[in-house]
Amino acid sequence: MSKYGKLLYNSLNDNYDESLKFKDVAQLDDTPYDVAIVGAGIVGSALAYKLSKYKLKVLLIEKNYDVGEGTSKGSSAIIHTGFDAPVDTLESELVTKAALEWPELAEKLKVPFKNCEAIVIAIDEEQEKQLDKVYDKGIKNGVIDIQKLSADEVKKLEPNVSEKVRGGVLVPRESLADPFSSSTAFSEIALQNGTDIILGVEVTDVENKSEEIKSLVTACGKKIKTKRIVNVAGLGSEKFAKIYGGENFDTNPRRGQFLIFDKHSGFEISRIFLPIPTAKTKGVLVSPTIFGNLLAGPTAEDYPHSFEAISETTTEQLQLLKEGASKLYPKLNEQPVINIFAGVRSNCTQGSYWIRCNDNSPGILTVAGVRSTGFTSSPALAQYLIGKLHDELGLNLEENPDAIDSRPENKWPGWWKRRYDNKELVKENPDNGKVVCYCEQITKGDVIRHLDSPLKPRTLDSIKRRTRAQMGRCQGFDCMVNIAKIISDHCEIPLKEISKRGPGTEISSNLTSNN
Amino acid sequence: MNSTKDYKVIIIGAGPAGIGAAMKLYKSGVKSIAIIERNDRIGGIPSFYKKKKGGVRTFMRWSRGGYPVFGQDFAKWLEKLISDTNIEVKLDSQVLEIDAKGKTVTFVNSKDGKVNISSDAVIMASGSREENIAERKWLAGARPSRVMYTKQLLNLDRDDLLPIKKPLIIGSDTIAYAAAAKLKAAGASDPIIVDNRNTPTCPIHERLYFRFWTNPSFHGFNADTMEIKGKETATGVNVNGKHFDCDGIVISGELIPNSEMALVGNLKVNIPSRIPVINKDNQLSESGWYAAGNILGGFHGAEWCYFNGKRTADSVLKYISKSL
Repeated sequence: MSKYGKLLYNSLNDNYDESLKFKDVAQLDDTPYDVAIVGAGIVGSALAYKLSKYKLKVLLIEKNYDVGEGTSKGSSAIIHTGFDAPVDTLESELVTKAALEWPELAEKLKVPFKNCEAIVIAIDEEQEKQLDKVYDKGIKNGVIDIQKLSADEVKKLEPNVSEKVRGGVLVPRESLADPFSSSTAFSEIALQNGTDIILGVEVTDVENKSEEIKSLVTACGKKIKTKRIVNVAGLGSEKFAKIYGGENFDTNPRRGQFLIFDKHSGFEISRIFLPIPTAKTKGVLVSPTIFGNLLAGPTAEDYPHSFEAISETTTEQLQLLKEGASKLYPKLNEQPVINIFAGVRSNCTQGSYWIRCNDNSPGILTVAGVRSTGFTSSPALAQYLIGKLHDELGLNLEENPDAIDSRPENKWPGWWKRRYDNKELVKENPDNGKVVCYCEQITKGDVIRHLDSPLKPRTLDSIKRRTRAQMGRCQGFDCMVNIAKIISDHCEIPLKEISKRGPGTEISSNLTSNN
Repeated sequence: MNSTKDYKVIIIGAGPAGIGAAMKLYKSGVKSIAIIERNDRIGGIPSFYKKKKGGVRTFMRWSRGGYPVFGQDFAKWLEKLISDTNIEVKLDSQVLEIDAKGKTVTFVNSKDGKVNISSDAVIMASGSREENIAERKWLAGARPSRVMYTKQLLNLDRDDLLPIKKPLIIGSDTIAYAAAAKLKAAGASDPIIVDNRNTPTCPIHERLYFRFWTNPSFHGFNADTMEIKGKETATGVNVNGKHFDCDGIVISGELIPNSEMALVGNLKVNIPSRIPVINKDNQLSESGWYAAGNILGGFHGAEWCYFNGKRTADSVLKYISKSL
């Protein structure tokens, strides 16, 4: 058995478990890290997971209070095949490769995965002409199982598609997955294999960047020694690259707003409906989600990096989005919307998957422009980066025979495999029969199991992403406070200190009511 | 009728409507009744309006001449009614699915696990909730902490926790004004109320009643959009070029029926209003299935729901006697 890595959180309130608080660098042992991964989104987490099978000292450091909390949390949750990726690019290579890896990987990670197929749909003459191009591009990208469909064939597969359909391309391996539990699973396994994880800590400077052993300076003033740095900070990668003087590049955040529709309201599509892609974007798609809802989105709105409201939703764009999406699936207009959110793709002007080894300083690897395909590509990109670390940054890779690559059976999320379906499990632990989130039917047992899971999540949002509690139609109307109380009771933190996503976002101001 | 059924009548929800129905059935001779309730107590929404010294009485007893009571007292009265019967109330029990044809209800709780029960008739009295941000269609913006629905505020009040000092309330019905009074009485400043309509939904005589505790400023708009602002916690809203400051937002009112189980059982439900389709007897689209209380849509007080439950029970009694 490997030794667990250390898990530390920055500036937690007084009442949090002492062992989780990052107070001093002395808590980490003195040997410099072989690799420090800056950014624990889906890519950073996947890299930590893949690196953790080697005998290495690795750090995963993240400014948010959970893994996968930035760009990675706001995606369409689709595992793409790469049929429409730009041909002969690294992006295409990695997405295509990762698409083949995901089914088995999901089984190992114990994360939900469902192969539901996609259809690229042409609804006018102009689009119909594009179908051959879409097909040819798919074949060139090595997605040889795609098939051209006539309008009748599309209607036969999906009777509720727009009447205007002129034809389509079936992409059999496009699949649904869960980005939330994927980031968590990658990081949990890495932690278990000995990777240290520090959350809630922003890296603000790099000292001795030209030397073999550098120091990451954190916002909380602590210095962490490392031989190599991988910048996978997503939207923060540009700012961080400027700190260590990497080659200039520009991230231009592209906002993507989404609509989530309720389950149980009789939507009748079983495949992902894709529009004909344009040069700029894959366009607005309509898709079932692995959680049983229906999703439409994303918009594609480019903003300068300084735009503060980048993750805010707007009524106007959501209306346009609904109009666009209902062109593929007209009955969408009758579906009840239960949630809106905005994701941000971290696009790079200099190119997608813009990767620089020894980026103006030896031992620093910069990864930018991992845009909307990042969820899909993450395992293959991680493998690619390990290759670069070995070939160009002198990382010695010796396998650790004790490392694990999967999570145990009991890690399947409760919403995916319901524990109360088994009477014995309720008898064993009555909390497995106590539903706290009525909409998603999540139990107190599910919440507590995640509080006790390796990353020790303590915020409402981190529990939400892991359990789905608060993600249903009422959006926490009934369960938010009850879940906060479970966290409060189980972790012995006063209720008013329970936060949405870390310090500064506590649910209550400090007043106690007197009446 | 088939005697192998577990119960004569199953009622989903132990709020005013469910209890009203149960009491009427019981007094009319139907003794085999099960009530499935997901909360840990009887009384529904009124039970969350805590009785406090100096607190605000927000429930009316019109049948007793129209005097205001605490929700919690109303809930206690309902509880007392049930305690004098042998009606089975399954608390902390969540309905997972229903079978409309077989008139069975599947629920789960920590004592029995997942259970299937059958009956001759079922009454859905599962109440309503407040529309969420997306459902209101004109609300958008950031997703900071300290944006809460009234129910969440009431839940925190159970622990005497006042989450907001300088509140802004979105929505202007009676629930909004009751929340304003509650916050002020607990030590917050006079709330700002904003809504996407020109005058408050709450009728003037009720607003005058709440004036005893608070005098919130109302700002009505006719806007396409209202944006929530705040990075960590809510700091305000922007509407029609105006900004309103706050340290927390309460999203209030605009009730929407809890009719999901009807959808699960393929009973007819209007989308997007979520109001189940009923006939004049409060019967749903399948025979033997009935609805009562706020699940029928609209905005009704606890006492209205109680009497509506009784009315529905009359229909159920007729249905049962006809089937015999």
